[in-house]
Amino acid sequence: MGRKGFFTDTTVCIGCKACEVACKQWNQLPDDGLHFTGMSYDQTGDLGASTWRHVAFVERPLPFPGQKTGVGDFSWLMMSDVCKHCQRAGCLEACPTGAIVKTEFDTVYVQPDVCNGCGYCVVACPFGVIDRREDDGRAWKCTLCYDRLGEGMTPACAKACPTESIVYGDLDTLTERAEQRVRKLHTLGVTDAYLYGADAESQPGTGGLNAFFLLVDKPEVYNLPPDPVVPTMKQPAAWASVALAALGTAAVALGVVLLERGGRT
Amino acid sequence: MKRLEEGRTLLERLEQASDGRNIDPTRGALVGEAAGQEVKDLARANPVPTLLTTLPSRSGPAEAAPSYYGVPAIKAPVWRPSIPTYFYVGGFAGAASALGAAAELLGGHRLESLGRRCRWLGLAGNLAGAALLTQDLGRPARFLNMLRVFRPTSPMNMGAWILSASGALNTVAVAGTVLGGRGGSLEKLGGVAAVAAGMLGLPLAGYTAVLLSNTAVPVWQGARRTLPFLFISSGVASAASLLQMLPEHSRVARRVVRRFGVIGKLGELASGVAVEHELSRTEALSRHLKQGRAGRLWNMARLCTATSLVLDLLPGQRRWKQLTSSGLGTVGALAARQAIYAAGKASSKDPHATFVPQRHGLGAAEVTRHSRASDGKPLKLALPVIA
Repeated sequence: MGRKGFFTDTTVCIGCKACEVACKQWNQLPDDGLHFTGMSYDQTGDLGASTWRHVAFVERPLPFPGQKTGVGDFSWLMMSDVCKHCQRAGCLEACPTGAIVKTEFDTVYVQPDVCNGCGYCVVACPFGVIDRREDDGRAWKCTLCYDRLGEGMTPACAKACPTESIVYGDLDTLTERAEQRVRKLHTLGVTDAYLYGADAESQPGTGGLNAFFLLVDKPEVYNLPPDPVVPTMKQPAAWASVALAALGTAAVALGVVLLERGGRT
Repeated sequence: MKRLEEGRTLLERLEQASDGRNIDPTRGALVGEAAGQEVKDLARANPVPTLLTTLPSRSGPAEAAPSYYGVPAIKAPVWRPSIPTYFYVGGFAGAASALGAAAELLGGHRLESLGRRCRWLGLAGNLAGAALLTQDLGRPARFLNMLRVFRPTSPMNMGAWILSASGALNTVAVAGTVLGGRGGSLEKLGGVAAVAAGMLGLPLAGYTAVLLSNTAVPVWQGARRTLPFLFISSGVASAASLLQMLPEHSRVARRVVRRFGVIGKLGELASGVAVEHELSRTEALSRHLKQGRAGRLWNMARLCTATSLVLDLLPGQRRWKQLTSSGLGTVGALAARQAIYAAGKASSKDPHATFVPQRHGLGAAEVTRHSRASDGKPLKLALPVIA
């Protein structure tokens, strides 16, 4: 048991997409079609109901610190994206059926036998991860290989990753390893390196991510939000407005009836 | 490749027979986590993507407002138009129940017929609402799963409970008028149920605004303080419009409904301005209610409601005038919900609508008051944060 998660170090990702393939194969996900997107080497596009790992390819018109290329100022950023398994998960807090639960590994899991396909989690996720498959009717996302974890195995993507860009393990160990890696990169001159979502302090809107990342550019470049928030945090303001408007309407309804009490027929 | 019968190639035939997993069921068991994911039409599930909305050279890291090739940062709502229609239906049902409860409590016998109509309208709205909601589910047969938990963090769960309770109460209230004899116990029970349904009616009309604002969709989240006022007042206006359409002989009831509607429409117009104002905090949000389909629907809604209000306030109570006013009021309320829905959908497809407000302190920082984004860079706060 214990809190499990992923540490994805984007500086060692080589964009081989082995994680995407391993995920598809192990989980027996249907294919996404063979389409050309025009987005560098990324023909996957984004995460979705049947895409639980997605490798992003960013072509940067900037040199990577300490590296020289023969084609002028250029560097690659590659990142294997996945469900973040947030401490405070928007999908879970929005789910009206209780289909989305936290597991004993502190991961976020959708129970397909309970989900009724209301589609609320889809808009509640601040990262655009979970999606409803229209021909299936239910919402799907990465399970952090719940079936493998139960057997003490490593999730398929982390197992397949040839460069240890995706590391699976206990959150405490992962955070320590990640911080060491950031320190090392800083000494190597990659001063832009930082951890995205490693703890609640750096990302209070989600309470920290069980699947966090080491990035070297703005989050937006990787299609990650710069200050994500679980929508539930802002909910009290909306309910307060409902209460105020409801009181007003009750007064109006009683008022229009009272006005006629002494009136003519 | 050799064309086979029906003009399809062998590859096309194989692709069509496949469920996209390429697993021979005689050799491999389908037991993976996603093995139960049903595949009916691979081609429809995987449409050809629209090629690049933003040029790579205009979206990358060198830009002031970068994005990942213009790809949306969050998922667009998957709901069909039945959901914004339900917002309207739930709105009029709730407001009608509230007016019915007021008539029951204070109206006396002169407003009895109005009270009855309100009960019927409330019940009709509850039933139509449940049908619209169920129809939109990916698995409609599992509608009742909504009631297997009680989860205050989920406005949709709260709404399912409110709608179910309201439907049950309105059923009793209607049964009281239809089956109950004058002064009988069933009639009294119906009266109590009508009052209770009226009290639930107000959250029923308003929770849908919380449901929308409790999402990552930038426009909806950004309008969370004003949207409930718009939805509830618009519910009042639409309930009054529907009641005005029904033939009503009592002049007292007509006056009550007209005043209820006038206040509702005034509230709808005022809270519309408030919504625009709340969204005007950043242009990345406000533009989505101004342009495209959402902008057209929004302008139409405002125009219809305003015209309807003017007609209500003009002297004279001719039937054609009442009918025109209530028709316009109905169209205005429906269009307002569709406009808010469309604006949200458009903003969810625009990565900058997600990124830019968050950089300017309208993300988590609004609640937790931290000063740095997730990459450690200071947030660009428009105004100094007063501690």
